[in-house]
Amino acid sequence: MFDYILLFVVALAAIMAIVQENLYKSIVILGFESFSLAAIYHFLLATDVAATQAILGSALIPGLFIVALYKTTKGRDE
Amino acid sequence: MEPFQTGAFLTAGVLIVTGFWAIIMMDNLLKKVIGANLVGDGVNLVLIGIGYRPGGLVPEVTHHFHASAVPSTFSHFLAFNEFAELASYPLPFALVLTNIVIGASTLSVMLALSVVLYHKYQTLSVQKIFEAMEED
Repeated sequence: MFDYILLFVVALAAIMAIVQENLYKSIVILGFESFSLAAIYHFLLATDVAATQAILGSALIPGLFIVALYKTTKGRDE
Repeated sequence: MEPFQTGAFLTAGVLIVTGFWAIIMMDNLLKKVIGANLVGDGVNLVLIGIGYRPGGLVPEVTHHFHASAVPSTFSHFLAFNEFAELASYPLPFALVLTNIVIGASTLSVMLALSVVLYHKYQTLSVQKIFEAMEED
């Protein structure tokens, strides 16, 4: 049952990350989506892929997005 | 086809459609990069869902079988052919493991190009960038 809830969470978080106006909130939702996707990979019996997706998708990629967003909104209130 | 596999394919369809909608329709460059990331996640989920076998063994965990065991001699070890019949299909896992790392590196290149465009045109909107390019 929990795995089906995770599938719904991933689909909902993808739509929310696109519809969200604030880009910081959008990036946080994207990291949450990647971590839920890693849990789905664990339920699909792919544990090595789940470990890589959990590290890269929830730490490295939002970090890169935060750095890019900081460099493109520096000096302005947004 | 298993119900969980069907659900995984439907979720991957939602991810791919949402990502392409963001790439085509959104005005912000960072939203387009987020959409490209979502498309990559959807493709990875399709490839992982192909190799799923319900109730199967994880193919990377090798203490289930013994290489020199013949079938039904060791009660707690499996021979290799029995293990291969029970485990899920491991080839897409290796491909997707490469695809995740390459996706992260191409995403970083896309973000760097977005920062370069912002430093040149002082905006992230694609519409305003095109207008500024036509004025030049």
